[in-house]
Amino acid sequence: MARAQSGDQKAFAELVSLHSALVFRLAVSILGREFIPEAEDVAQEVFLKVHHAIKSFRGEAEFSSWIYRITFNQAVNLKARVRFRSPHADETVLYHAVSPEPGPYRQAETAQRDQALAECIQTLPEVYQAALRLYYWLGAGAGEVAVLLGVPENTAKSYLHRARQLLRGMLKEKGYSCD
Amino acid sequence: MTEREPREGGIDSLLRRSMAAPVPGLPPDFDQRLMREVSRSSRPLDGYRRILLTAYGLMSVVACAVVMRGQGLDWGAIAVMILGPLALVATVPWAWRATHTTLRHSAR
Repeated sequence: MARAQSGDQKAFAELVSLHSALVFRLAVSILGREFIPEAEDVAQEVFLKVHHAIKSFRGEAEFSSWIYRITFNQAVNLKARVRFRSPHADETVLYHAVSPEPGPYRQAETAQRDQALAECIQTLPEVYQAALRLYYWLGAGAGEVAVLLGVPENTAKSYLHRARQLLRGMLKEKGYSCD
Repeated sequence: MTEREPREGGIDSLLRRSMAAPVPGLPPDFDQRLMREVSRSSRPLDGYRRILLTAYGLMSVVACAVVMRGQGLDWGAIAVMILGPLALVATVPWAWRATHTTLRHSAR
């Protein structure tokens, strides 16, 4: 860290290789699967920002927390901009879950419920959405969710619990059963 | 794993099934491309640009001094008006850093 702060490019490259995968995972968890190329752009922007500001980093927080906070803000800002540009971009069209249900009627019903679920997810607060995508899509454990969102593990667990509760309620309102 | 209430089992398996999709990753050459971008963005001003900027600064100072002298100001006032903002620009970041360091030490 100190070497990177003194302008050592090799040390900065080490920091990049250490954190790039997690920065990308966090960005993609916020942006969702319709914006994977944009998540890569976010990762690049984050590291350029970090390189620019690394001398002002005084170690009051962990370096990783600092970089994940920058990633979170950068991705949320980008998401707001792309949603404004293309408000109808729909994550559901990219769901490729193979339906185990037999018969066309059951498959159509499942597809409709998946669509409703995706729409409900997009109405949740950003941290809940990110926690859900990290846990259910990207296969992160509660510990990793906590680290990337910069919260204690119990808070990450409560995000997941609360998100599931909200989704259950929203699906019920739309007439879908979760059981 | 998170602890789930029994009634959350349904929504849990629904989420698991509907969010099942390949996990994306960064391209293998991401780090190299990024480091190329980093070196390009952090390259210091080359000699030509530095000379151009210095010449522009000096010309501005001379032009300001000539105009203000033409308005009847004495050299002391002209010096204060030109050097004052420069001193301010140089001092503000230093003062900001000093204040924040002091606050940080007193917070510990």
